[in-house]
Amino acid sequence: MVARSKKGAARDSVAIPSPPGYTAIPIKFSEKQQASHYLYVKEHRVREGTQSAWPEKCTLFVLNVPPYCTEECLSRLLSPCGPIKSVELQEKPDLTESPKEPESKFFQAKRVPGFQVAYVVFQKPSGVAAALNLKGPLLVSTGSHPVKSGVHKWISDYKDAVPDPEALREEVDTFMEAYDRKIAEEESKAKEEEGVPDEEGWVTVTRRGRRPVLPRTEAASLRVLEREKRKRARKELLNFYAWQHRETKMEHLAQLRKKFEEDKQRIELMRAQRKFRPY
Amino acid sequence: MGPAPAGEQPRGAAGEQEVMETALEGTGKEKKKASSRKRVRAGSPTESLLLQPPKLSRAELYKEPTNEELNRLRETEILFHSSLLRLQVEELLKEVRLSEKKKDRIDAFLKEVNQRIKKVPSIPEAELTDQSWLPAEVRVPLHQVPYNVKGSFCFLPPTQVTVVGSYLLGTCIRPDINVDMALTMPREILQDKDGLNQRYFRKRALYLAHLAYHLAQDPLFGSVRFSYTNGCHLKPLLLLRPHGKDEHLVTVRLHICPPLDFFRPCRLLPNKNNVRSAWYLGQSPPEGGSPEPPTPHYNTWILQDTAMESHAQLLSAVLGSALGLKDGVALLKVWLRQRELDKGLGGFNGFIVSMLVAFLVSTRKIHTTMSGYQVLRSVLQFLATTDLTVNGISLCFSSDPSLPALADFSQAFPVVFLDSSGRLNLCADVTASTYHQVQHEARLSMALLDSKADDGFQLLLMTPKPMIRAFDHILHLRPLSRLQAACHRLKLWPELQDNGGDYVSAVLGPLTTLLEQGLGSRLHLLAHSRLPVPEWDISQDPPKHKDSGTLTLGLLLQPEALTSVLELGPEADQPEAAGFRQFWGSRSELRRFQDGAIREAVVWEAASLSQKRLIPHQVVTHLLALHADIPDTCIHYVGGFLDALIQDLKETSSTGEEALTVVVRCYDELSRLLWGLEGLPLTVSAVQGAHPVLRYTEVFPPAPVRPAFSFYELLRERASLLPRPDKPCPAYVEPMTVVCHLEGSGQWPQDAEAVRRVRAAFQLRLAELLTQQHNLRCRATATHTDVLKDGFVFRIRVAYQREPQILKEVRSPEGMISLRDTPASLRLERDTRLLPLLTSALHGLQQQHPAFSSVARLVKRWVHAQLLGEEFTDESLDLVAASLFLRPEPFTPPSSPQVGFLRFLSLVSTFDWKNNPLIVNLNNELTVEEQVEIRSSFLAARTRLPVMVIITPQDRKGSVWTQDGPSAQILQQLMIVAAKALPVLEKQLTDPRGPGDIRTVFRPPLDMYDVLIHLSPRHIPRHRQAVDCPAASFCRGLLNEPGPSSMMPVLGYDPPQLYLAQLRAAFGDLALFFYDQHGGQVIGVLWRPASFQPQPFKASSTKGRMAVSQGGQLVTVPNVEAILEDFAVLGEGLVQSVEARSERWTV
Repeated sequence: MVARSKKGAARDSVAIPSPPGYTAIPIKFSEKQQASHYLYVKEHRVREGTQSAWPEKCTLFVLNVPPYCTEECLSRLLSPCGPIKSVELQEKPDLTESPKEPESKFFQAKRVPGFQVAYVVFQKPSGVAAALNLKGPLLVSTGSHPVKSGVHKWISDYKDAVPDPEALREEVDTFMEAYDRKIAEEESKAKEEEGVPDEEGWVTVTRRGRRPVLPRTEAASLRVLEREKRKRARKELLNFYAWQHRETKMEHLAQLRKKFEEDKQRIELMRAQRKFRPY
Repeated sequence: MGPAPAGEQPRGAAGEQEVMETALEGTGKEKKKASSRKRVRAGSPTESLLLQPPKLSRAELYKEPTNEELNRLRETEILFHSSLLRLQVEELLKEVRLSEKKKDRIDAFLKEVNQRIKKVPSIPEAELTDQSWLPAEVRVPLHQVPYNVKGSFCFLPPTQVTVVGSYLLGTCIRPDINVDMALTMPREILQDKDGLNQRYFRKRALYLAHLAYHLAQDPLFGSVRFSYTNGCHLKPLLLLRPHGKDEHLVTVRLHICPPLDFFRPCRLLPNKNNVRSAWYLGQSPPEGGSPEPPTPHYNTWILQDTAMESHAQLLSAVLGSALGLKDGVALLKVWLRQRELDKGLGGFNGFIVSMLVAFLVSTRKIHTTMSGYQVLRSVLQFLATTDLTVNGISLCFSSDPSLPALADFSQAFPVVFLDSSGRLNLCADVTASTYHQVQHEARLSMALLDSKADDGFQLLLMTPKPMIRAFDHILHLRPLSRLQAACHRLKLWPELQDNGGDYVSAVLGPLTTLLEQGLGSRLHLLAHSRLPVPEWDISQDPPKHKDSGTLTLGLLLQPEALTSVLELGPEADQPEAAGFRQFWGSRSELRRFQDGAIREAVVWEAASLSQKRLIPHQVVTHLLALHADIPDTCIHYVGGFLDALIQDLKETSSTGEEALTVVVRCYDELSRLLWGLEGLPLTVSAVQGAHPVLRYTEVFPPAPVRPAFSFYELLRERASLLPRPDKPCPAYVEPMTVVCHLEGSGQWPQDAEAVRRVRAAFQLRLAELLTQQHNLRCRATATHTDVLKDGFVFRIRVAYQREPQILKEVRSPEGMISLRDTPASLRLERDTRLLPLLTSALHGLQQQHPAFSSVARLVKRWVHAQLLGEEFTDESLDLVAASLFLRPEPFTPPSSPQVGFLRFLSLVSTFDWKNNPLIVNLNNELTVEEQVEIRSSFLAARTRLPVMVIITPQDRKGSVWTQDGPSAQILQQLMIVAAKALPVLEKQLTDPRGPGDIRTVFRPPLDMYDVLIHLSPRHIPRHRQAVDCPAASFCRGLLNEPGPSSMMPVLGYDPPQLYLAQLRAAFGDLALFFYDQHGGQVIGVLWRPASFQPQPFKASSTKGRMAVSQGGQLVTVPNVEAILEDFAVLGEGLVQSVEARSERWTV
């Protein structure tokens, strides 16, 4: 059924070319605009076995959502097709589970939207089918639901961005409480396990024990290697054998040759750039 | 889907070449396609312009050396400084030397000339004043003033024609190849006492005129013209150029000489008079009046003619067989030429330098086996350390008592260098200031050679130093006829008599001395231009003195002394006081000083630094009017024209240094408050500025904000002001970032997220404490605290030293913790560590060089005005400006904004960013060895580095400030614009009639953009900063007086910037946007050509595109009509109109 309706849509929109599998829906900011952008929509589907955050059959995948079109706005535009569960706008198509943890509005820099993709989840699969048959052109900003843009938008953005210190303090406090609890738990767990051998009989040695060991960092191991190297270098004799003399001389000559070669190249370059004409 | 990967494949397989190019072509992926296609056609030439680390196989590196190779290496080590220098010198000499083929052609021409001269018919004897025999087609090349003179003239062919000078020696250099021919007049023409009263010169001129008339009829010559020998207007010469295509090959100069031993040398000593006042002034000699004044210059000019041949012999004896010496002379000539020292009357020309080499050979300072480079070095060393204006030198080593003493010459001439006869001063026409300029240049060059910089050769010999770029201020005197009056005012009649009426050279010496004395400690060096040697047709009269252009003086200022407005004189009762009063005239006043002394003093009016910089203008105007009768309408002082572009918006007398100092003082107070803050869990360990204002490089310094509340919407509960949609955009206030480090503590969490929370808690606490303890209005957010203090807003960012490290930590599967750079850690490190370091280093630079601030600001102003400012970080431009001060060679550090800006333009337009890093050696922390190391590692890592690489001691590898741009195209564009602006601006500034519209070079070219978005000034908060300052703008909600209570003003609200951010986010893949943040009214849009190629449909790249079927295939192209409408939609209220100017997308 879905397949048929898609074909139908493709046949209907001969005037608006759309890529295979997608339906193009014209979208404009308001009545005043002459030309329109096109939303490319299709049913959200993933390959067998791939996990997806959005329910199959009920999700509409929308490409090329213009920057002035917000989630609320998209939800309003598509609601005639059927009740909508959620609308998610993203920068690019993302099949894997998106990080769903609530982002703090204080600690996340606000992104300036460009053209985005949207996943619209309908409550019923019929909503998707209806959306695929939408003719448009959709109007983002209408008389009854104006969308702010330009100066008005920037002013309201500025207003929203004026920070509220109390809310911030609250958030910091809750986070830190949770964090402290977590750390305390970890520490007590580590203390419990200290000196207790695992099932194969190995004992984990930590820095907190009675005899602290070197931290396992790259810097520390490099430091050890460096010390070793220096120790070895101190023992070495450099000007002892005749061949060593010979070799240092040869090395010097090789350096000179290399330099000469480099210089010749430089000269060649300067000549090409006509850098030798003092007039 | 099909065609895409197939198209991708061959491009990817293009090889390493591709990698190299892409890195340089910039970040824009879309350009790759275009450039790779170009490369297929262009092929290797572009590639060869890139340096690569040398590739030598092991076998090549370690093969047994041949004897020859060892010899060459040893020679290089001994005779040259490095092999690179040796190669460079060889290349240069190859370029300036005459080729054998051309020499043959010139020789043939000379032979012809010789024959023609011999064939010129003689004419019967006539009185000198009777010149009726001279045909009308030729005029006498001499001003015959006074006309009446005794003696008679006849023409006989020359007894001898010899080639003298550099052509024979093989030291003449291109581009102007001159061959000097000396024609000896037969003795019959001359009479006794011809040395007197210009008789000899009259005869010489007539001789030349007759010669010219006959040679001009010969078809062999393309042009026959008159000119002056070294600009000396009593000594004309004839220029012959071959006919046809050889016209520019050579110029033969005919000099006329008296027969050998005709003049008695003792009559021509510097203290003898040979121009009688009675004759010259046309009066009867006063009874028993004053003795006749000596005429040293006049005498020298005669002597020069007699000595021509012997000089040529001396030089060929010394230089003849020594190749190294000839190379050295050629190099010295190039050196002088680049510094414009060799031309005109009194120039330090190639002949003097050759004689100097001969002198150094005779004193064994130079050996004949030395290389050209060593000769250059020795001569420069000699010049740098020997002041010929104090101690003269002589090539004459005989102890003949009849010879005059050096002291006699020192009395008559400023610079003394006697030839081998001991009677002729070779530097007779050289003024003291010319010699000091030579010395100054020699000293600079020696310092450069000693610094062992590897671009020393370029800076020494290949960089031209035009006056406008070399001197801080220059001034033109125009018209020159004014100097005649000055001569009389300065009572220079004897000098006029000596110079045969040439008032310009007569007045030059006294004038420069006057100004040097007046400018005193403000002045480092005063130089004057040498008037160009005129050349005129034989049918014309010689040009008058006043027609020989303008006299230009260059001032090199002493930055330390510029800040003083006081000229302190002697105490009132001292005898010197009268002299002081006489010197300064009405400006001298008696003043009582704080120590109780009553002194004569001159006080100049100057309130701001920019005015103080222009005090020399006041001094010069005053002194010239007072002593030389030159009114200020004749003085055209070029020093502060560019100041207008960085001037304060309200007051026009300051270029903003004072306003910046006020902010910095406020910042200092704030940092003291922070240090002393009580109740913070950790104490503040350091407060560092991280904003351009705090390093004096903000183009327009902020003014204290005093908002008018009625203009805003109030958000009372947070004490903040908000912009109102129905009002024009409020004034732009940018918070100034200050980084605040806290003392170390083990209590900080070791998790990045938690650290951010703790930092936020500190920000909140900071705001609370500042409000409580110091009653400052504060507003805290998670990352910073904004503080309003005295009308300035500072943004304090708390930093935790270990945070970048925490962000870097990566735990490997084995549990090893290693540090890897992440974008977040790099950004944090840049903002909290490198930026404060840079800010304090540049703050220090400003203390050393007071002009740094204005130069850097002018530079940024210009780059922004060209709409390219957003592509460059502020710091990168500051660093380029700093490099002008830290590595000024071959100049001195600029002391005026104008010269600094000109040098910036020249640096940007010539610097080879592909093959060189710009090393900005802040605080001189990098040693020479480290710099060499940096250069070589730069070459090896070139592909991974950004297009523009700027190295500082704190940032030796990465070039942090240019990491994210500019792209190669933008840099190229900047270079093009700079290369175009430089000559235009230089021409404007050196035009003695005035610069015209100085803002010309600041207006951007708009014809290259595809779309222009015009903005409404109502919503441009910085509208008044525009290059062409609008006559009227909107009220920005500011009061002149401080308001009643403090509310946080609207911060960082700049609609054009917000608009641009939206445009870039939405259409960054399709187009580039250019805007001048300082009041620009137009946004230039450039479509990216690559994204306008039809592309197959891909879910990941449909942004702003639409599907069309093209040739049966479905492709996507940008939806241009809709995008143009989006431009208007996104900027509603701000955008006035969107003007599409090209139809390029409809391809």
